Amino acid sequence: MGPLIVYDSISQNTNLLLAFFIGIGFGWVLESSGFSSSRKLAGVFYGYDTVVLKVFFTAAITAMIGLLLLSLFGWMDLGVMYINPTFLPSAIIGGAIMGLGFIMGGFCPGTSFCAASIGKLDAMVFMIGLFIGIFVFAEGYPVWEGIYKANFMGTPKISQSLGMSDGLLGLLVIIVAAIMFWIGEWAEKKFPQAEY
Amino acid sequence: MKTRVIITIVFVSLGLIMAAVPQNKTNPKQLSAKQLLAEAHSQNQYFTPDQVADLVIKKDPSFQLIDVRSLDAYEKFHLPGAVNIPLTDILDEQWTPMLNQSLKMNIFYSNGTVDADKAWMITRQLGYKNNYVMQGGMNYWAETIMNPKAPASTSPNEEFAKYDFRKGAGQALGGGVKSVMPENNVEAPKPVIPKAPRKKRVQGGC
Repeated sequence: MGPLIVYDSISQNTNLLLAFFIGIGFGWVLESSGFSSSRKLAGVFYGYDTVVLKVFFTAAITAMIGLLLLSLFGWMDLGVMYINPTFLPSAIIGGAIMGLGFIMGGFCPGTSFCAASIGKLDAMVFMIGLFIGIFVFAEGYPVWEGIYKANFMGTPKISQSLGMSDGLLGLLVIIVAAIMFWIGEWAEKKFPQAEY
Repeated sequence: MKTRVIITIVFVSLGLIMAAVPQNKTNPKQLSAKQLLAEAHSQNQYFTPDQVADLVIKKDPSFQLIDVRSLDAYEKFHLPGAVNIPLTDILDEQWTPMLNQSLKMNIFYSNGTVDADKAWMITRQLGYKNNYVMQGGMNYWAETIMNPKAPASTSPNEEFAKYDFRKGAGQALGGGVKSVMPENNVEAPKPVIPKAPRKKRVQGGC
C-alpha cells in the first residue's frame, strides 16, 4: 500500500537513503541521455531541440497515470500524498526567474550538477551562481517575505478548481502533451541546427 | 513514426480509462467494522488508573491525558496535565494534529469508561493510532487512587503493595486518603499541544 513515505512506514533516514539511490539513478539517466549539455536545454527555447520538454512532460504524465490508476485499484492512498502548497505570485515570479536562469545558463539545477560531475566548467560556474542565488534569497528573506507568502491558497488541485474529476483532467493533460510533442517536433524540423 | 503513434494511442487510452471510471475515495487506513470490533474486544486500549497514576507521578513525557468531559467538569477538577477535548468537539479540526500523531500516547478519560471509549472508537475508526482509554474513568480513579481501601489482613502481599502504591500515589497527586476528591487541585501544567510533524518540503525541479 503506497506511498511508502508516510511518517510511520519508513523512517526519515531510510527515506533519505532511498532518495540518495533514486538521485544517483536520476543523474545517471540525465547524463546518459545527453542532458548535461547546455545546448540541449537552450534548444527548447530556440526550438531546435525539444527533448527536454518531451522527457519531462512524459515523466509527468507517466507519474500521473501511475498514481491515478494505482489509487483506482486501491494500491495508493492519494489522501496522504504531499501536495506542495500554492502561493500564486511567488510561483509566477519564481518561475520567471528560474526560466531566465535556464536560458542564460543552459542548465537547470539538476543538469548543472550532472554536468559539473563530468567536469564541465560552465556547469561549475552555473553552480556558483546557484549558490549566490540561494544566499541572496536566504539573507534577504525579510525583504521578500511579504511577496513570498502572499496569496496563500492552500493545496488546491487544478481539477478541483475546474470542477472536473482528476481522471478527466488527466486525459486532457495527455492530449495537450501529445499536441505539444507534435508541435515540438515540427519546430525541430523548422529550426534545424547542425549536430553538436 | 510508427512507435510514436502506438505510444500516443496507449497513453490516450489509459487517459480514457482514468476519465471514465469514478474516483476511488475510500481511505484504506480506516478500519472496517470487523477490525474495530476485534480491537475493542482485545481490550488493549485500556490503561488502569494505577498505570496512569504511575505515568503521572513519573512525569513520563510519552503520554498525554485527554479529558473528554465537558469544560465545566474539566474546570472543576481534572487530572494533572490533562487537556480538555469535550467528546462533542472531538472531530473539530484543531484537535487532529493532537489525536493523529505518533509521538505521544493519548489517554482518554471521562467520569466512567463510556465516553472515553466513545472517543477511542471514533479516533480508531478514523485510523488514528496511539489513543488509549483510562479504565473506569474518574470514578474508579477516585475509588482506587484517591481513596484506596486497606486490604483485609489475610490478603496476599501483592494487595498490600498495591495499596501502598495507591496511598502514596494519592498523596502525591494531592488526594490524601481521607477525602475522595482533593480540596485544592494540583495546578496542572499548561498542556502542550504537540504540533503535527512538519511535512518536509519536497525539493523538486530537474
